[in-house]
Amino acid sequence: MSYRLGIDIGGTFTDFALFDEAKGKMCIHKQLTTSDDPSRAVLEGCTHLLKRKGVDFADVDTIAHGTTLVTNAVIERRGAITGMLVTEGFRDVLDMARETRYDLFDLRLAFPDPLVPRHLRREVAERVKFDGSIETLPEKAELLASIADLVEKGIEALAICFLHSYANPAHERLARKVAESNFPDLYVSTSADIFSNMREFERWTTTAVNAYTQPLFDSYLARLEGGLQAAGFSGRLLVMTSSGGMLAPEAARRYPVRALESGPAAGALMSAYHGRALDIPNLLSFDMGGTTAKGALVNGYQPLKQYDMEVARLHDFKRGSGLPVKVPVIDMVEIGSGGGSLAEVDERGLIRVGPRSAGADPGPACYGKGGRRAALTDANLLLGYLDAEFFLGGDMMLDCDAARAAIQKHVATPLGVTVERAAWGIHEIINEDVARAFRIHASERGFDYRGASMVAFGGSGPAHAMAVARKLKISRVIFPAGAGVMSAFGLLVSPLAFELSRSEPCVLAELDETRFAERFRVMGEEASELLLAAGVSAASIRHRRRLDMRYQGQGYEIEVALPENCAFADLPALFRKTYAQTFSTSMLDEPLEIVTWKVEAVGPEAALTDGFRLEDSAGTGPAQKGSRQAYFTNGYTDCPVYDRSLLEQGAAITGPALIEERESTCVIGPGDLVRVDEMRNLVAELGES
Amino acid sequence: MDAIALGIMWDRLISITDEIVSTLVRTSFSTIVREAYDLTAVITDADGHLLAQGSWSAPPFIGTAPLTMAHTMKKFPPHTLKPGDVLATNDPWIGTGHMFDITVMRPVFKGDRLVGYTMSITHLPDIGGTGFGATATEIYHEGLRLPLCKLLKEGEVNEFLLELIEANVRVPEQVLGDVMANVACNEVGGRQLLEFMEEQDLDDLTDLSVAIRDQSERMTRAAIAEIEDGTYWNSLQIEGIDEPITLACRIDVEGERVHIDMAGTDPAVERGINVPYCYTNAMSLYSLKCLTVPSLPNNEGATKPITVAAPEGCILNAQPPSPTGGRHIIGHFVSPLIFGALAEAAPDSVQADTGMLDLMNFVGTHKSGRGVSTIYFASGGFGALQNHDGPPTLPGPSNMAVVPAEVWESVTSTLIEKRTLLPDSGGSGAARGGLGQEVVIRNDSGHPMTVFSMANRCEFPPLGLLGGNDGPLREHLINGETVHPKARHVLAPGDRVTLKQPGGGGFGPVAERPRDKIIADVRHGFVSIEGAKRDYGVDVDG
Repeated sequence: MSYRLGIDIGGTFTDFALFDEAKGKMCIHKQLTTSDDPSRAVLEGCTHLLKRKGVDFADVDTIAHGTTLVTNAVIERRGAITGMLVTEGFRDVLDMARETRYDLFDLRLAFPDPLVPRHLRREVAERVKFDGSIETLPEKAELLASIADLVEKGIEALAICFLHSYANPAHERLARKVAESNFPDLYVSTSADIFSNMREFERWTTTAVNAYTQPLFDSYLARLEGGLQAAGFSGRLLVMTSSGGMLAPEAARRYPVRALESGPAAGALMSAYHGRALDIPNLLSFDMGGTTAKGALVNGYQPLKQYDMEVARLHDFKRGSGLPVKVPVIDMVEIGSGGGSLAEVDERGLIRVGPRSAGADPGPACYGKGGRRAALTDANLLLGYLDAEFFLGGDMMLDCDAARAAIQKHVATPLGVTVERAAWGIHEIINEDVARAFRIHASERGFDYRGASMVAFGGSGPAHAMAVARKLKISRVIFPAGAGVMSAFGLLVSPLAFELSRSEPCVLAELDETRFAERFRVMGEEASELLLAAGVSAASIRHRRRLDMRYQGQGYEIEVALPENCAFADLPALFRKTYAQTFSTSMLDEPLEIVTWKVEAVGPEAALTDGFRLEDSAGTGPAQKGSRQAYFTNGYTDCPVYDRSLLEQGAAITGPALIEERESTCVIGPGDLVRVDEMRNLVAELGES
Repeated sequence: MDAIALGIMWDRLISITDEIVSTLVRTSFSTIVREAYDLTAVITDADGHLLAQGSWSAPPFIGTAPLTMAHTMKKFPPHTLKPGDVLATNDPWIGTGHMFDITVMRPVFKGDRLVGYTMSITHLPDIGGTGFGATATEIYHEGLRLPLCKLLKEGEVNEFLLELIEANVRVPEQVLGDVMANVACNEVGGRQLLEFMEEQDLDDLTDLSVAIRDQSERMTRAAIAEIEDGTYWNSLQIEGIDEPITLACRIDVEGERVHIDMAGTDPAVERGINVPYCYTNAMSLYSLKCLTVPSLPNNEGATKPITVAAPEGCILNAQPPSPTGGRHIIGHFVSPLIFGALAEAAPDSVQADTGMLDLMNFVGTHKSGRGVSTIYFASGGFGALQNHDGPPTLPGPSNMAVVPAEVWESVTSTLIEKRTLLPDSGGSGAARGGLGQEVVIRNDSGHPMTVFSMANRCEFPPLGLLGGNDGPLREHLINGETVHPKARHVLAPGDRVTLKQPGGGGFGPVAERPRDKIIADVRHGFVSIEGAKRDYGVDVDG
């Protein structure tokens, strides 16, 4: 008997998915997150679920878990007292940031305080030049004195950040050695190890985040491992990274910054899994919850990745108002649109929805917890998409009158439209915002989404997916079974993986096949080290190679993914093709340049090879539980309502239809056709409109 | 079209301009565009009315598009244009005030009907002449002036024009790369606009245009009505080339309209710091927008209730052949001029003076032998607002990001020895001005490097507001010696140039600053112990 367990620790809930390898069966469990010590809910939940299924801890091979612990530590400033060593003359890089305003008209700008306060940063006389040559060698004595002084001031973690260390990391390595040999308890992060790329502010901030969260993450993992062992678990514990790969605990301890946002990544990974299962290579992964919506693109069965995210945004999700973190992440667009997003009349005198959110408390007006403003959930209730008596499976009654009053007062009256039209407007603005976010996200990446399908999940995603798909001219939407625990499933399909990225600019004309291959071989070996250490066999490791390339002198690179057997000579054609895809032109005759080299070492896929069936998903009785009035473009129509768990495999329904499950409702528009596939996913096709 | 439909279509137009900007940034060649975002993108209707502008546009481009379009439509009447035509100019009086900015426009055809234009503007890395600086005494010294012309004719590039540009500029591959990036992004914009019109079933943009502009105008009018009627004056002394220059304005707020008149402003000078009207107008509109409807998306309606006048020939309405290369040096003062005038009328919106942006142009040869012509942007501190300390090193009113030291050094082969905050440089007050900085750059290229100083605030500091104190002065030094802040200097190999950036002005009386904030400032080293005693009268123990 062998089992695998996926655990996603979110802000509110910790989700569990237990997969029985032999039977291909999946059971799920959900319980409140214990924010003070998340490992507690994990241990309790595991025990509860395993007991329920009569499974012994010893029969669990792998526990794969994702957590928001690292992000929350940064947002809530619960990390370690952290010091920083920097190149002489550059102590203030963290305060000075990018010297740019994220808003041109709002003069009351606010930026997050640096994670390392100014008085805990020390300058060191050392200097590497842009080409990696050395201007000034650091003195060991000075390094030691500076570190000792910081330790005296109480630091628990140290970020070592020198200029141009991506070109030559020797000085950072020396400083690390001095720190580690004299202060063995100190947690040390060096910037070239964390993110070996040009642009000091971003690299140093990323390094600071790593250092700041390292002690906390380390002790969390120790508690978790200890607790699991005590309970009888003897398998392998894995930690999900933001890029959708798994790390063994040893590697995760070294790079906590890589585990910043694993839940959403796991969701996107699960979308890609459904793509593979259904033979759909290109997908839009659409996840919408209570406060935000997240979109990711899946290209050729793989979620797109990038090196750019921001945490702790201070200003309504505005890009530039948070801390930039450069780690490989699933390339996701996040917008402030969710069930709790508040509708208001903006400066134009028109509706804006979000990014301000009613949150969970007081929540939308219909929660009846004192919220007076109109939220998206209020609009969806008024439009008939939600059932006041079957929200969260009936655990929570919704107040229609409160929703109506809020929309009337805050939107309909000021705009001079009916309350229904106002509710429709709120719903539709969100659809438009999501479509816009997808559109810009895709066009920036040269991704043609029109032949793609969409996978929709999260509490609010299924209510908006069909309308968003229609705007994007996407003809097919998949509503996977278990939309509320997608991330926990995603943890079960994620392989062990580690990615390296190095800025090492060089002109293509000055390279040859041998040096090109050698460069990748060295990086490949380095990237594999952590996997080998985690027990993956060398033979089963595959390497995915990507290059950031540009025309020489250009400032932005585009990422070129190299096919398995790509030869050096293929690069120019490959680049031009990717470039033309992105920008619709390649009229230039400039020399080509490689800026950044990336290698991802990937272990064997932890596949759910033959798919899975959700346990307890089929009950008995008629699937159609009734009907109610629901609003589509031109007004209310009578709309049948189905209980998703009672829909038979192969069933087909023509919209309008509302298909309810505990955490969400799929809204199927008039003329759209939906059927239930073998895995109990709903697959909907857009009808003619 | 009800409020619901209007909102949806309006948002979509803005998202198209954002897409144009993202294409522009990602295809451009120079650091100026890619790191500093000195650019904009707009969509107009068939009559050239500005409908939507990229969310990330630089303030000097607010409001220049309609004037540019009016000139363009006069020279190239719409019925003479064909699909695939692309128009361009860098004429200071038609475009944005100096020849470094190229404006590229593309008519959008639905079938054979012209339905609108897309436009992009970027600051080119070079345009020939003396190089980016204030040293010219006539416009003819400042480089290549491209009258409104067809850059592409029905999709065919005018090769002669490209050759002409190539032959006249220092870094031709960068300049041409940026010009073609402008072409590419407009093509993307045009395609998106057509798709949008098809989806929404629109044959033209006329009704939508009227609705967007009317709605915006109403909102601006309502916001202006909140400001107490009256006539407000202000005048500022700022340094010119040889002697101080006076800028003056009179602002009449009357009901829902504002009229700004720059009467009393000194005449233009024989140096490249003169400001064409289009730039004065843009900076005035920008400043008013910050005070009235900051988050209202920009379009022609949003600025309609505001009119701006400046006497012909004054330095804020300079005429050809006045040189204008460094027009921002004077033009950026339009913001503090207007904020100062309206301080009493709108105390919770105005900002004390910012330390402003310092641009230094570097022209020389890279260690590798390549040509170098690029700009270092260094920001002073941001001015304080009521109950809001200014952040450090933040540009205003323009918004160019600093080029990271690691990128800068690899592009120029100079070495930045120091980039650090200047403690005590924020003007004191109830709210403190943001700190300025000191940057030291050493010429490591092995070749002489010419640098163009275009600094302001070297004689007249950033002013505090409503009782707040002033920030310090800006200073340029070479090898430790103060140099002329608006001149061309040559750095021999090994020479160092130091750029000292002032902090922003403070807001409100020092006596009202909470003690805990003073102590926190000392702990962070933003204010020294001596500074706390001197500027705030507070003793803080080390």
